[in-house]
Amino acid sequence: MRVKKTKLMFLLLFLGVSAVMAGFTGAYGQSGGFSDFKDYIYPVGKLKPTDSVPILKVGDPAPDFALPAVEGGKITLSQFRGKKNVAISFVPAAWTPVCSDQWPGYNIVKDLFDKNDAILLGITVDNIPTLYAWTKQMVNQNENLWFPVLSDFYPHGAVALKYGVLRSEGVTERAIFVINKLGVIKYIDIHDINQRPPLEDLVKALEAANKQ
Amino acid sequence: MKKHKLQIAASLLLLVITLLCGAASQGADTIKTVGSSDKPLLGKIKLLPAFELPMPQGKSDKSYMGLSGTGDFKLGQIKARVLIIEVFSFYCPHCQRSAAQVNELYEKIEGRPDIKEKIKLIGIGAGNSLYEVNSFKERYHVPFPLIPDQGMEITEILGVRGTPTFIAAKADGKGLLEQFYFGEGGFPDAGQFLAQIIKLSGLEGEVKK
Repeated sequence: MRVKKTKLMFLLLFLGVSAVMAGFTGAYGQSGGFSDFKDYIYPVGKLKPTDSVPILKVGDPAPDFALPAVEGGKITLSQFRGKKNVAISFVPAAWTPVCSDQWPGYNIVKDLFDKNDAILLGITVDNIPTLYAWTKQMVNQNENLWFPVLSDFYPHGAVALKYGVLRSEGVTERAIFVINKLGVIKYIDIHDINQRPPLEDLVKALEAANKQ
Repeated sequence: MKKHKLQIAASLLLLVITLLCGAASQGADTIKTVGSSDKPLLGKIKLLPAFELPMPQGKSDKSYMGLSGTGDFKLGQIKARVLIIEVFSFYCPHCQRSAAQVNELYEKIEGRPDIKEKIKLIGIGAGNSLYEVNSFKERYHVPFPLIPDQGMEITEILGVRGTPTFIAAKADGKGLLEQFYFGEGGFPDAGQFLAQIIKLSGLEGEVKK
């Protein structure tokens, strides 16, 4: 009698474990079919379109900076002086909606930047490990974004502050600056944080900066 | 005495297992809902809402859809028995990665004389400008029409929450489209996906196996 009960217990245990495993497999099967890393995006809801006071204007010299890059080393703005036009894309934060899609778009149009003798610098206030994980998700394995991604983490948002795009809650505006080879700001778009700036506006700004 | 203990242990175990199973199946249900929402699932029919889309400028795009002229058009005007719509975005890494696969789907359809006039494929760029849609087309050599939905109005009407999403609908012969497929995320194999669409659309009896 006792032997039978033990057997029954094992049977039940086996059935139970199988059911749990089946449940997990089902769950994985479902989520695996969805667009991978979108599942990790933190929903921020609708935010105040802009939340900072602009301090720079077109025609101003672009404030220089030196920031650590995800790929290692530091990048300064002045290293491109006389060599490249520079587009700076500030995005509010890693793992948030809109931002998580913006740079992957730029990543497939390197030719548009090359055509206008321009480099792109992506900047957020996140630290390097976060930016590493986040940008790795944007590309295939063993690939990297073609442009440097810089961390304005410490002192927190110091560069964003110099550019007048640090919001009150410590993230940046969704902003684009285009700087010509002389280091002069030629274009500023401090965009509604909830919306992605259309690509054509940036391309037009690059073309205009490159003509001068 | 021992027997009694064993009984209690067995009952407890049963209870734990029941709870676990319940939790597991509930978990699976929740995921299922997240994956497909309250939108029509596989095989369930609903009428696609009528809305207007901007006519693509390219001649080959227009002739592929059997359309002419300029201005706006409705999906129901496309000359096809079955329409497959990919809601994608220029900015979506998953769409970028699967672009070649979706092109393969197009080639598979076009490569079969028995279905190429019956099944058409278009892309709708969620939140994309015309410039962005065209950049995507150029970058990935997309051979089928891509139509921008910059304001996300059409994406919302279609009930799409993430990209890529695939929707398939069949023409009722009166200019209306009946949606019979709604799938979020990509598909693992273009050939299998096409076979599934043919089967679900009811075209199976008319085409080669």
